[in-house]
Order: sequence, then C-alpha cells, then structure tokens
Amino acid sequence: MSDARILDRGYRAYTGPRLGVRGAVRSLIVHSIQRALGLKRPVWQKILPAIAIFIAYVPAIVFVGLSVLLPDTLLREASGVLPTYAQYYGFISAAIVVFTAFVAPELLCTDRRTGMLGLYLASPLTRDTYLAAKAVATVALLALVTLGPPLLMLLGLTIVGSGPDGPIALLGLLAKMVLGGLAVAVLPASLSLAVSSITSRRAAASAAIIMILLASRAVSEALGATASTPLYFGLDLLQLPIELVFRIYGEFSEIDGARTITTGTLVAAYLVWTFGFGLLTWLRYRRLTVTR
Amino acid sequence: MTVLLPPPPPPPPPPVPADARIVVERVSKWFGDLVAVSDVSFTVGPGVTALLGPNGAGKSTMLRLLCGLTPPSQGTVAVFGGNPRDDLSLTRRIGLVPQQETLFENLSALGFVRLAAVLHGLDDPEGAARSALAVVELDPDEPRPIAGFSKGMRQRAKVAQALVHDPDVVVLDEPLTGLDPRQRLHLITLFEQLGAAGKTVLVSSHVLDEVERFGRRVLVMAQGRLAAEGDFHAIRDLMDDRPHRVRIRSDRARELATGLLERGVVVGVRLGDGDDVIVDAVDAARLRREVPVVAAELGARLYEVAPLDDDLESVFRYLVGG
Amino acid sequence: MAALAPTRLPIYRLLLRSQVSRARVLALLAIGIVGIVVGFAIGAGDRIDELRAGARFINTFGLSLLVPVTALVFSAAALGDPSEDGTLVYLWLRPVRRSRIVIAAAASSFTVAWPLVVIPLAVAAWATGGGSALVTATVVASTLALVAYTGIFCALGLRVKRSLVWGLLYIFIWEGFVATANDTAGRLAVRTYSRSVLTEIADVTLRFSAISSPYRWIVPPLVAVVALAYATRRLRRQDVA
Repeated sequence: MSDARILDRGYRAYTGPRLGVRGAVRSLIVHSIQRALGLKRPVWQKILPAIAIFIAYVPAIVFVGLSVLLPDTLLREASGVLPTYAQYYGFISAAIVVFTAFVAPELLCTDRRTGMLGLYLASPLTRDTYLAAKAVATVALLALVTLGPPLLMLLGLTIVGSGPDGPIALLGLLAKMVLGGLAVAVLPASLSLAVSSITSRRAAASAAIIMILLASRAVSEALGATASTPLYFGLDLLQLPIELVFRIYGEFSEIDGARTITTGTLVAAYLVWTFGFGLLTWLRYRRLTVTR
Repeated sequence: MTVLLPPPPPPPPPPVPADARIVVERVSKWFGDLVAVSDVSFTVGPGVTALLGPNGAGKSTMLRLLCGLTPPSQGTVAVFGGNPRDDLSLTRRIGLVPQQETLFENLSALGFVRLAAVLHGLDDPEGAARSALAVVELDPDEPRPIAGFSKGMRQRAKVAQALVHDPDVVVLDEPLTGLDPRQRLHLITLFEQLGAAGKTVLVSSHVLDEVERFGRRVLVMAQGRLAAEGDFHAIRDLMDDRPHRVRIRSDRARELATGLLERGVVVGVRLGDGDDVIVDAVDAARLRREVPVVAAELGARLYEVAPLDDDLESVFRYLVGG
Repeated sequence: MAALAPTRLPIYRLLLRSQVSRARVLALLAIGIVGIVVGFAIGAGDRIDELRAGARFINTFGLSLLVPVTALVFSAAALGDPSEDGTLVYLWLRPVRRSRIVIAAAASSFTVAWPLVVIPLAVAAWATGGGSALVTATVVASTLALVAYTGIFCALGLRVKRSLVWGLLYIFIWEGFVATANDTAGRLAVRTYSRSVLTEIADVTLRFSAISSPYRWIVPPLVAVVALAYATRRLRRQDVA
C-alpha cells in the first residue's frame, strides 16, 4: 500500500450553507459600510470619515456639556443658547456635504473601475438588488451623521435631566428624530448615487456632487432674493431636506423664502428630486456594460 | 541560550575598473520597513550587462537609483562620475526604458519621441525621432495616438525615446515583455549592436532564456542583495559545492565513464539508455581537459560532450535558491 | 497657437493637451452656463440694488465655487496625473530645469481654466445689470483668484495622492467653513482677497472683505509664486515613477 496522499487539490466545490440573495445583500451592505468608513483599511482611508464624524458629533457633545454647566434659569431665560433639534443641522451641514460627496463614489465608482461589479453580479445579486444594497449602505452611512448626533444630544440631555417629559413625549420625539434624520440622508444619498453612476472616476464624482450641492444653493439664493415666487427654494438641494426637518418638528427655519413655501410643495419637491436621481441611477445601471 | 553575533562585515568592494561608467558603492534603499536594495556594490562598463533576479528582487529599484529617479538611502551611485540625482547634464547621457505601461496617451509615436528629442535640445528633433522609430521598426507616420497602441508597440516607442539622443548609457527595465518572438529577436540584436558600439547597455529581466542571448555578463539580485556578478559561466565554475553535470555520448561510453571515475575526475556516473552517460564533476575545467585524454587512451570515439546545467537557469536557480 | 512649431514650448503644449478632456470642459462649461442663466434671472427681477445682488452672486457662485473648483480640476491634474501614472519620468529625465516644468504646468492649466471661468462669470455679471464696474471687478477678481489657486493646486497635485479630494476639503472645509469664523481666519483664505478686490472695484460692501488695499493685490500672486517655488523644490526631491 502506498502512503501517498494529496493534501490540496486546488479547486473544490463549496459545500457550506448558501445564504442566497438576502445573505448577499446583507454582506454587500456590511462590506460597503466598512469600506466607506475605512475599517480594515490603511489609516489614510480613515481620515476623511473621521473628520466628517468629528464635525457632526462635536456640537452635540458641546451642547450637552453646556446644559450641564449653565444654570437652569439661564437656559430657560435665554432660550437661544441651545439649538432645537432641527437647528442642529445648520451646525453640521459641512459634515453632511463631505459625507454625501465621498460615500457613494467610494461605493459605486470603485466597483465599476476595479471590475468588482462583474464579480458581484456573478453572485446571487442582480443589478437591482446590488443597487438596493448600495443605496441602503449609503443612507445608513449618511444617517451616521444626520441621525446619530441628534440621538446623542437627546441621550445626553435626558441623562442630565433636560430631556422631554415622560415616555410618550420621548417616543414622539424619537419618531420625529428618525424621520428627520432620514429626510436629511435620503435626498443627498440619491443625488450622490446618481452622480456616481455617471462617472467611474471617484474624485470627479466627489467634485461634481459638491459642485451641484453648493451651486444649487448659490443659484436658489440668487433667484430667491430676486423673485417673489418661493418655488426657487425647491432648487436648493442643500437646504431643502433641512427645511423639511423643521416642518417635521413643526418649526420654520430662518432661511429667506422658506416660510412662504407650503409643506406640501416642499414634500413634493423633495420627492421629485429623490425619485428623479434614483431613476437616473437605475437607468444608468440597467444600460451599463459590465464586462467586455 | 543563543548568542546573536553581529553579522560579519561585508567584503570590501572590488577596485573600480578604469572603464567603469556606472559605479554603485554600498547602496541600500528602503521604503519604510521594506528594504528593496541592501548594501549593493558593483560597476558596469561598456557592453551589454543583464540584471537578473526574480520578481521583487529589487531590480527596478536598482535601475531607478541608477537614473536618479530616487535617491539611495545609503551609499552612492555615480554615472560618469556624477550623481544622476542632481546633475541635470547627465540626463543627456542616459536613456531609460521604464517599466510602466502608460505613455503620453494622446501623442502619436512620432510626437512622443520628438518631444524627447526636443527636450534633449537636439538640432533636428524631427529627423532624430524618425530614425529612432525606424530603429525599433515603428512607422513614424502612424497617425494613431499611443492610446490605441498594443503592448509591443508601446514597448518599442519607449525604446525609441530612450535612444533618440544617442546616450552612452541605456537602461532598460524588462524591455522584452509583451513583444512577439520576432520583435524580441530584433531588440536583442539591437542591444548587441549597441553594446558592440561601445555603449553601456543594462537590461533587467526575469526571463532567463532571453538574457542568455544578449550577453554573458550578468548581475544577479536576490532579495535586495547582489548575489553574483560577472560572466555567468565563470559564476557557474565558482559554485564548487555543486557538481557540474555533463552528458557524454560515445561508442564506448561505459568504459569512458569508468576511466574518468578511476582518475577521480568525476564523482558520480549515471548510465543512459544507449550510447550516453551522465557524469557529475566538481572541477569542470579539469573534466574538459581529461575527457579527450581518456577517450584517446581507450580508443573511444566521442560524439558529444554537453554540459547539462551550465545554462543561466541553473546558475540562477542556485543563486536565488529556487 | 497653430502657427507655433511643435518644438516651441513643448511641455506647455503637452500638458495643455493632456488636461483638455471633453468631459472636464463640458462639465465646467455647463456650470458656467448655469451661472449666466442665473445672472439673467437676477437682472430680470425687480430689484432695487442690482449691483449688490450681482456682486453677492459673483461672490458666492464665482469666487467661492467656480473659480477654485475649476482651478483645482486642471491644476491638480497638471503634474499630479503624470506623477501618478509614471509618465513624469519622460519629462524628469531630460536636461530641463525643474522650474520650467512647474511653470509650464501652471501656465497650461491657467490657459484652460481662464476662459472657462472668467468669460461665463463676466457674462453673468453683465447680465445681472450691475453695470460695467461689476463686470470689470468680476474679471479682475476672478483672474487674481485663479492665479493664486493655480499655484496652490499645482503644488498640491504634486504633493499628495487623491489631490482632488484634498483640494475639495481645502476649498469647502477650510476656505468655506473655518475661514469664515472671523476676520483673522479669513486672512488665510484666497477668496477673502479676491472678494476684497471685487468690492473695491465694484464699490459695494460684502462680509469678510476687509483686506486693505496693497495686500489684496499682492497676496494672491505672492501665494502663487511661493506655491510654485515649493512645487519646484518638491519636483527636484521627490521620487519619480
């Protein structure tokens, strides 16, 4: 008898459990989030998300600290010391822009440029489920800066005893918070997915997203200051979601021209943009040649 | 308990020959924690020299050091006595074919080579570019931009830009990759001609049968260190601890092998299936002297005496531990 | 240009060609056209102070957005692209002074960026009805800003990988966010100087434009010179390919 044996035959069929479409979508979401945050990647890749998260969370920490340090009487009299949850977004708009500009290009452009998309589509993922997973990952990442800080502020204020009165008020506030956080995340996410579906150069996509956000602001501001109709406000992709958050909390922002626009028009403009960008992304991927 | 002794000091570099054009002295290069080149000294004179080594041995880094594209972390590199990193005038005397594929993609081959000629300040850049392209067999009037070129065409355009200013030192990093056999042969012939014309041609490669054709002088790098330099047959002869294997074909092969064994010329004999034997000898020179003597004594006719491992590949495998 | 023999200004011509890609030019042209359309809309509105409205628009849209981003797109690529794809070696290993390479790069990106930036902004300024002073102010201020940004981003392209990303962070986080904290921080942003020039020539007042007269003219070109000198030094010292 020979004692020869083959230890490794190279290719072997996979015999473990198969997780199917849901497993594929779940792992794509997880890996996308890890990639964008620079987890398990060199330190250079962590700097940018770290800066954005820092900008987003520092005001929350500062405000909680203020509410501890300042006497209650002062806080009650000078009601402008602490911002409302809606006003908070004004402090962190830079972080939102940074994240919007860098997340989706990282998630979409890289896959097309490196050919990973072809491998993904050879798995149980289709173009639609692939895009859905990427969209969920993008919104989740953006929610990290749009939803996390207000939640942190709420938690802090509740602990120090300045939170809402009673569990029902707390639940109501939480619901508004989640809705508001998602509102600020979804429109920018769909914009950035659409831009990232057009070019496979990551840096170009980032630049274009920032340009579109800020140019839409400048244009809307210039037009809004001129014309009497408030419709121009709907052009402002940066302020539109934030204004929506104010309405969710039953407030008005201080932005010129925002007060005159009805909530219905605001929601309509929001949905038109969001679905428009979503449709563009979907069409681009439907027609995309993945491998030559 | 193990006592770590300091490593023995490296042997002093050999004296610099008078015709040396490239002098590398005790050069090391590291990138962060990665040591790419470690304490290497050698000289290169006129003629073709092959720089050999497996992938990742530090060949490309060595060639970049020679052209001044990156400074050594330690030691000195001199080309014609000057530092290629600082001395701009040296660039007139060096031609480099780098490894990377990308060229100025929207230029034509003529535009690309002419740009090199213009920047070198040649009197007739157009004419120089055309003749350089002719040397590598690229059509100067090819209108396509380089973006549409095949790998072989790119490779030849790179060689043309390196030769357009008639440099004294030509450094080529893996110039034969992507070429078809005919183009390879053409370029190998070109290197030989340049070497014969007194140019210093330094070619890196990890494909050994290519190298064997364009020069016997080699520098072998392994893991960032210089493993050997010189004529590769001479290097083979230095490898005393490893017997040379030679096949002898003769009408009286067995008697011949016995005779060689008795004289102590060979240390091992393996009988072939017909009229041949394979012998192992420690001293190849002695074997070459003794075989005809023994054959004459026995009255045997020699059909063939062929070294089996005197090729570059076996030298190389020995040196880099493959 | 056409009359220029291919042997004259070879590096400038080479880098000019490599920077002009259709996608880049069309994208930036589209933004410029948006600016012009908005300019007309401002001019058509029933505003009392058209000069001020126009100056504000040129400031937020032009000096804070179009000028720095356009400069970034071209200047960062001028030496950054060849440095990253390894083609820089075909310029470096030649008997050419390093300063000449850097100046050619800056000049070529300025040549591409200037018409894409200054012409649409001048048309937009005219369309707002702010008068000829606003047009002149726009041309001068945006040119001055473009000079400074070209220098800064040329150096940046050579210094860092992913220079477009870092450049955007500089433009929007530093200049757009940190440097608007107060006047002192504002002195560390190019746009404060160009804004001051805009307000001086057009004779309007805008926030963060309190740079006194000689400095608003001297600092932007000086910034460019210092940045290009740094880029030259960097080109001499850095690893190539």
